[in-house]
Amino acid sequence: MRTCYRCLLWLHPPVFRREFAGEMLWIFDQAAESQGALALFLDGLGSLARQWLLRSGWWKIALALALALLEVTFGGFGMLLFGRRHLVDPSFAAPVSDVAEFSHHGSIAHQPLTIGIVMYLAVFVTGGLTIMVIGLTFWMKTFAARRRPAAHRVR
Amino acid sequence: MTEDYTPFLPLSPAALHILLSLAGEDRHGYGIMQDVARQSDGQYKLGPGTLYDNLQKLMTQGLVEESPKPPAHDDPRRRYFRLTSFGRGVLSAEIARLDTVVREAKVHLRAPRRAT
Repeated sequence: MRTCYRCLLWLHPPVFRREFAGEMLWIFDQAAESQGALALFLDGLGSLARQWLLRSGWWKIALALALALLEVTFGGFGMLLFGRRHLVDPSFAAPVSDVAEFSHHGSIAHQPLTIGIVMYLAVFVTGGLTIMVIGLTFWMKTFAARRRPAAHRVR
Repeated sequence: MTEDYTPFLPLSPAALHILLSLAGEDRHGYGIMQDVARQSDGQYKLGPGTLYDNLQKLMTQGLVEESPKPPAHDDPRRRYFRLTSFGRGVLSAEIARLDTVVREAKVHLRAPRRAT
């Protein structure tokens, strides 16, 4: 169990690991008998989740990715709703020249690569990338603030 | 000038117990764990993960800081922590808040229940 706990500590973010892992392992050795090794291991698992999700700012990237995926998914649903006729009846396919027309008459499967399709896809890809960049920027700011000495931190 | 402690309140149970433990004297991690168990008559036990996760947060917020190790016969791997004056202020504000809650609760629990 000690080896498992050691592996668990190794999985923590480097900043936390460098600062506290040695003591945590020492306490594990001291308290494993009185508190139970399994209870300490589960406590370590909780700490691992909190460190990565709450303290390290990774949740912002996860959120950005989730939102980007959501946007792309809803984009797909939009295609199913608006381009539904073309999925059912391929003969309906007709050349399109702009985005508005494409939303009523087109589907990617049955259209040649026109400027309308490229723009339609570009909107989704750009939107997803923008959300990810915003998430990354916030995360970097959090990271920079955490590394600043406590004396200079504004409360 | 009085400091505003409200952004730090209410404290989580773990943070409250840790600050309470450090209010008396400087302690190392394992010492804090043992003192927290003593404070709650063994009903609330902190694991090392919860303890150091909270200590890291409290240190980032400036409520707790690392204290120089006592030169005595202690294990060199142990790091000691102490409450800052700001941390003491936050703890006092939290205790005052809890005191109000307890007083309010006592008044409500003593009052006879009305039939609906």
